[in-house]
Amino acid sequence: MDFSWSDEQRAFRDRVVAFARESLNDDLRTLDAQGAFPRVLWDRCAAFGLLGLAVPEAYSGTPDVDFLTAMLAMEGLGYGCRENGLAFGINAQLWTVQLPLLRFGTNAQKERWLPRLCRGEWIGAHAITEPEAGSDIFNLQTHARRVEGGYVLHGAKCLVSFAPIADLALIFATLDPALGKWGITAFVVEKGTPGFHAGPVQEKMGLRTVPIGAFTFDDCFVPDENRIGPEGAGVSISTHSLEWERCCILASQLGAMERQLETAIAFARERKQFGQAIGKFQSVAHRITDMKLRLETARLLLYKVAWLKQNNKSAMLEAALLKLYISESFVASGLDAIRVHGGRGYLTENEVERDLRDAIGGLLYAGTSDIQRNIIARLLGL
Amino acid sequence: MKSQLRQYIQETLLENGAPHAVQDDENLLGSGLVDSVGMMSLVLFIEETFGVAVPPEDVTIEHFLSIDTIATYLEARVAA
Repeated sequence: MDFSWSDEQRAFRDRVVAFARESLNDDLRTLDAQGAFPRVLWDRCAAFGLLGLAVPEAYSGTPDVDFLTAMLAMEGLGYGCRENGLAFGINAQLWTVQLPLLRFGTNAQKERWLPRLCRGEWIGAHAITEPEAGSDIFNLQTHARRVEGGYVLHGAKCLVSFAPIADLALIFATLDPALGKWGITAFVVEKGTPGFHAGPVQEKMGLRTVPIGAFTFDDCFVPDENRIGPEGAGVSISTHSLEWERCCILASQLGAMERQLETAIAFARERKQFGQAIGKFQSVAHRITDMKLRLETARLLLYKVAWLKQNNKSAMLEAALLKLYISESFVASGLDAIRVHGGRGYLTENEVERDLRDAIGGLLYAGTSDIQRNIIARLLGL
Repeated sequence: MKSQLRQYIQETLLENGAPHAVQDDENLLGSGLVDSVGMMSLVLFIEETFGVAVPPEDVTIEHFLSIDTIATYLEARVAA
């Protein structure tokens, strides 16, 4: 196992950090307050090539990079860009929409959808959660009925990132409820398809710039050519995607934790109380020490999982450990950062509290912390 | 091959560790004997034990319904 980075990889990360700092930090408080999706920033990321990182050049139009480099770039994005919602949204599209299309799609499907997604012209959503299928994720009610030339979908999805603005959705529906989860099949539905409706933006606590909402399918016909993978392979496609998502989606949170730590250290060295810098008080210094420990242990887990995936090794257990640990660490460090900053950290204008609000979602999406613990326990033979 | 599959499923994957003699034609999926985490573990066991790569799109009820269907699938993969 070798976690060292090449000069080229480090240089690429540095370019991403510089780009993010210069181009992605405009007027963030307003965006957060309005819950507005920053389409301009999204387009800048597409022009830089970030939306094509997980996709070969033939479809993305941007030079190929290996998975480890892509993950390092996402870490750099989280470090340089203070808008956690943007980094989350990019990761969500890369790993839960583009990657399944690349891995399981036909050539025609890849040619139709991937270039548009990589260029930022279209936005993709991954829709699996339903009102009665949250942590019990495969208890789907959305139904696909076989008809001449395709399928008719009926049902609803909720808590879908990008649903209100998505141009296409990767959705999961069951062909036969009697087959349980083994009847689940994946489809792509394009915006404008009759019977396919997106609900309005729903307000939420954090990641407010990523619009979240619901889809409904009211006798929505999708042609055969929009089915992804074989019938009944939906569980495997979803599980495969979720494992990648758990590996990658939090890489940007690691970058954000590093930025957060540096900000806390700078403040603790500058801010004086009782005649000395507050960092000289053990209670403050120890809190920052804990933030550093979380950052470095999270980094080791992330790099181990990335190394396993790069080398085509199973990362079931490690991905669950990683998802659990980084998401919980970001919340804990977000709270510590506010404590270090005191009242200033509580004020929205100083952009400290936003990290904590943005971190909470990580405890829930891609499998809650409780579900990660369940997976880990099962894999330990419990 | 079937005996190794049977032993792994019986000793490692069965929920609750309840004694249960798995039959080769028994439905592993619809009956809930093997859940989705168990299926991931089974695929890993197959890949490591038999040296056969199992792509995710092949993990369907057609191939993994029972020990019989898994064996048939693996024999075809090996022969291919």
